[in-house]
Amino acid sequence: MRRTTIWFIGILAVLAAAAGSLVYAQFDAGYYGQRNPGAIMQPAVQMEMDGAAYSVAAYPLYAPELAPGPGREDVQSYCSTCHSTRYITMQPPLPPETWTAEVNKMVKVMGQPIPEDVQPVIIKYLQTHYTPETRKP
Amino acid sequence: MVENRKLSRRKLLGTAAIAATAAAAGGLGTVASLFAQQPQVPGDEKSLPTFTGPSQNPYWNSVGPTVQYPQKFPLVLLTDRPVQLETPRHYFETAFTPNGAFYVRWHLDEIPNSVDLATWRLNVEGSVERPLKFSMSDLTGKFKPVTVAAVNQCSGNSRSKFQPRVPGGQWGQGAMGNAKWTGVPLRELLDAAKIKQDGLFVQFQGMDQGKGPEGHGSREFLKSLELKNSVLDDCIVAYAMNGEPLPMLNGFPVRLVVPGYFATYWMKGLSWIRVLDKPDENFWMKTGYRVPDTPRGNTTPEEIKAGNVKTVPISRMPVRSFIVTPDGATKLVAQLPVAVRGIAFSGYGSITKLEISVDDGKSFEVAELGEDFGPYSFRTWSYKWTLPKPGRYFLAARATDGKGNIQPDDGVWNPGGYLWNRIERQEVVVGRSS
Repeated sequence: MRRTTIWFIGILAVLAAAAGSLVYAQFDAGYYGQRNPGAIMQPAVQMEMDGAAYSVAAYPLYAPELAPGPGREDVQSYCSTCHSTRYITMQPPLPPETWTAEVNKMVKVMGQPIPEDVQPVIIKYLQTHYTPETRKP
Repeated sequence: MVENRKLSRRKLLGTAAIAATAAAAGGLGTVASLFAQQPQVPGDEKSLPTFTGPSQNPYWNSVGPTVQYPQKFPLVLLTDRPVQLETPRHYFETAFTPNGAFYVRWHLDEIPNSVDLATWRLNVEGSVERPLKFSMSDLTGKFKPVTVAAVNQCSGNSRSKFQPRVPGGQWGQGAMGNAKWTGVPLRELLDAAKIKQDGLFVQFQGMDQGKGPEGHGSREFLKSLELKNSVLDDCIVAYAMNGEPLPMLNGFPVRLVVPGYFATYWMKGLSWIRVLDKPDENFWMKTGYRVPDTPRGNTTPEEIKAGNVKTVPISRMPVRSFIVTPDGATKLVAQLPVAVRGIAFSGYGSITKLEISVDDGKSFEVAELGEDFGPYSFRTWSYKWTLPKPGRYFLAARATDGKGNIQPDDGVWNPGGYLWNRIERQEVVVGRSS
């Protein structure tokens, strides 16, 4: 039983790798990693001699701190599929109706599947912390 | 000088000792208040806020921290995924922006970390007689290289100057750069593939992908230009930027160069050139990157709400100029000369005149233009200002382009935060010389 499971996982992994190499036959994309702010890059020399592949290190992530309060976890999970939550903290304080419009755009135009009962929670959170009246420095 | 340094070091040590004692005795609050009482060193930069608004961003750049990415100098962080980085002001002292300092703006988060040129190909496909695949050595070896100096400016450059503020990347003035781009004329690649009679548009796609669902703007970033648009005659598929390979974050291995047009069309990591037999209906053409079909793309929030505004895809860059130095970091000395310097450019052709005002735009004098690197390049300029009596002064720079367009002294407003080109100002203080 156990053995079968291991085999199954192994085959899955091989299939996944094959699928991955199909998609990324020409390039490799989307690698991000944490880095300490303020650290200057001192890259290791790329040593691969004969290939024609050109690579750079993973792109650093700088996660912002979102205001604490109800809805923060929903924002963290539903609003960071396609982009980091810096897209929220970078904005100037925006009026409540603009935040409603932004969330609606993400659902209707960009196709992010936020459940109907979670959408108002996310809108409420953004309006509670990121409007001209409510945003804290 | 040395004396002063010693003094301030001793002062600092003293402060630290007091702070340590206070921390032991009274807790963190006391420490913070002790530090707050320290007089600010003259000329110290005020620490920046973490965001600006709802009023206009008062700074030249956006207010993010500086961060460093592969192949790049420290730049101002807007967002980390997808990556958006702004070029600090002082890099604009020269006509060409170093590759390492060149701003970065991606729309989707799966951007290349690695490209294998053994398998990478530039595909020319769609409504063509002969679909073609070009390797990098095809591009460099089979076509005579051409070079053009051209400004790449984000459509949303200076968005943080808008009033009322609009959502989007909150760029200061540094979402722009100028480079010498070398590559193959786009028309030669299209001619090699032979466009079919029904071809209407040419669509560009890079290697970047998003995690959104198929057929949405969150999955693919696609831009198109009409085949009859004469800008295509100037377009280059560039494999070199200032004589070197493109940094990964600026579009390695090749990017499209559309001289005079905003950067949204300058597809990075360009891998598909697709001839379409009908207009492009994708999000990034039909909904995104559109501007009101009005003079300067100007409108109001009320007009937008009323649904009265017809829009068109953004295209050429209006004339702009920037004061790079002095930047207000220190007082200027009365009676000593100072060079007011900066850059200017226009998507409508060469800069023909740059004027400087030292009285907040009431009167202007002509500045000296630097070397002309062609109609789509930055043009440096310089104005020798013999400093008058001490006081506060507002410098203003105003550029005119070959089509006779003059920078206006009014802002612009549209919901996308595009096309800002108001006359820029720099406040300076002139101090006494004795």
